[in-house]
Amino acid sequence: MEIALLGFAAALAIGLPALATAWAQGRIGPAAAATLAEKPELSTTAVILIAIPETMVILGFVVAVLILLRAGG
Amino acid sequence: MIVRMMRVRIAGPRSLLDRTLTVLQDLGVLHVDRPPVPDGRAPDRIVMRERRHVERCLSDVEMALNRLRLPADPGAPAERPLSAPQAARRARRVRRRAETLALATSALEDERSLLVRYREFFQAFEALVGHELTWPDGQAFYVVLRAGAGSAVGELRRRLEDALHGEVVLLHQELSSGEWAVLILASSRAAPKVSALLSASRVEELPAPAGIAEKNVLRALPAIKARLGEIPESLHAVDAQRRALAQTEGAWLSGLRVFLRDQLLRFDARTRVFAADYLFVIEGWLPVPRLVDLQQRMQTTLGPEVVVSTIGAEDWTAEAAPVALHNPPLFRPFEVLTRILPLPKYGTIDPTPFVAIFFPAFFGLIVGDVGHGLLLAGLAGLLRLKSEPDTTLRSVSTVALACSSSTIAFGVFFGEFFGSLGPAIGLQPFFNREQATIPFLGLSVALGGVHIALGLVLAGVSAWRRGHRREAVGRSVALGMLILTALSLLAAFEVLPAGLFTPLVVAILVAFTVLVALEGIVAVIELLSTVGHILSYARIMALGTASLMLAVVANEMVGAMGSVLVGAIFALLFHLVNFAIGLFSPTIHALRLHYVEFFGQFFSPGGAEYRPLGHWHPLP
Repeated sequence: MEIALLGFAAALAIGLPALATAWAQGRIGPAAAATLAEKPELSTTAVILIAIPETMVILGFVVAVLILLRAGG
Repeated sequence: MIVRMMRVRIAGPRSLLDRTLTVLQDLGVLHVDRPPVPDGRAPDRIVMRERRHVERCLSDVEMALNRLRLPADPGAPAERPLSAPQAARRARRVRRRAETLALATSALEDERSLLVRYREFFQAFEALVGHELTWPDGQAFYVVLRAGAGSAVGELRRRLEDALHGEVVLLHQELSSGEWAVLILASSRAAPKVSALLSASRVEELPAPAGIAEKNVLRALPAIKARLGEIPESLHAVDAQRRALAQTEGAWLSGLRVFLRDQLLRFDARTRVFAADYLFVIEGWLPVPRLVDLQQRMQTTLGPEVVVSTIGAEDWTAEAAPVALHNPPLFRPFEVLTRILPLPKYGTIDPTPFVAIFFPAFFGLIVGDVGHGLLLAGLAGLLRLKSEPDTTLRSVSTVALACSSSTIAFGVFFGEFFGSLGPAIGLQPFFNREQATIPFLGLSVALGGVHIALGLVLAGVSAWRRGHRREAVGRSVALGMLILTALSLLAAFEVLPAGLFTPLVVAILVAFTVLVALEGIVAVIELLSTVGHILSYARIMALGTASLMLAVVANEMVGAMGSVLVGAIFALLFHLVNFAIGLFSPTIHALRLHYVEFFGQFFSPGGAEYRPLGHWHPLP
């Protein structure tokens, strides 16, 4: 039971930030596309801005790995 | 690093202004800046008129070069015309001739594409046009409907039959392009109504082909075919004339463009010069080591009447100086990464050398695979072969080579070759990141701590150089707190003697108080943000582990698919996808760690680029 709960916690740890990242990137993406239509030279900056919310899912992944390692150990 | 600049003043008699600007342009070291002198004088009308003439002539020259399809020649020597009006007239004449030829080519190509369309249209009806001949007093309407408009044909037929009852015949056929060719034959009495109905339905007739007066389809088709046969010859003849014109005038036009562009650059510089009735004053910036060159050149070419003097640093602020970056050849290609952001302000720190060290290191640490490193090295080598020296592509290839070397080195360290295939080629891991997840996380965060600490050091140095002593001390205290926190954590986990824990915590509290006293309450927020930045380096571990797991899954496909061949193909495809992700994701995140976390500590953007007055060069 405890292992199942830990697994569920790991899934939540990565799932919720993934949703948050998707939401943020969904807002930034169209804005970046609109910017690039007017200033194509900002493409690299746009890509970086789109990548910034990925921090959430990456840290979520780290937490999920830590939870799973705890479950395994 | 940022090149040290100095401000100079050049003064001399007004009669020598043009020559002085020409000498400065030849030397190409002075970034001309407006002197801090109130200049209420109206712009020189003669100069303005000259400038307008030059711009008009340049417009003719560039239009002619464009119409003659002559690319910009970077090596073309400046062609100084003996007589400016004569050169302008000749340029205008060549431009007109080139435009006439370009228009003729364009008209012939348009005609050809229209006739090709007609040919297909008429061929579609060749078997059916007997109808038109049986209705000699009638009129034919040729309509092409867009692709997918097949249903509109039925609607058009219904409307025509309702309105005209047997006085109209509609034939249709789908063309190879998906469009619908529609031929409407109407009696002379019904023709005006058909025309009105087509207008009301917003259906446009195909325009009659230029030069083909024949309306009867059967008779028009041979004429179209004959004209289509003639057009290539006409095009060839026009092209021969264009090439002949390019041959005779091309070199002269290219040289004249260089001369006129140079002249425009001097006119631009002149707007930043103080010129009174009898004297002129030019002020500007140049790299410190080039001062002797400037003084010698001025002395030898213009004599003692033109005086070059330096302006003391106390008379100008660092923010006003332009910025030029100069890094050792090994680091220079990495300027391509720092130049994505605005230039740093003068007097601050150029981050390029640090990017050159840490960017490939982070990239290698994330990918850490000999196989991926070799593939990347191959791509980088290819890019290097295909690129010209001193271009962005060449810089990118060098950065990619550095990243591939780092990836291979870390691949050997991790014992990875396309994931878990390392042992198969004799690689033994010194650090197995598949199993040592927590140590890898610790390594990533520790690396983040070092990187951010370096950022704080640079922030302190930069603030000190700009005379912001309080800020410099504040950054040093923040750095001290960071080190004390790391030491206290080591003491808490008994890596260091546990007895050190309490004194270290007390020292942190003292440092915190000093920091708040120096920087105010904002220091607390900055401190928390610094800790957040360090934790952000955990992405190195996260991305590295994800990349490794994808490679392991790819390798397991070989045995999991039933057939070894199918499994191997799937594994290869999966590795390819992983490699593509492995190129994109680590690049973005390594850049982000630099731009957001590292640069955030010390980088002051907003420097103006050093643009010395020099000769014009076409963009590569």
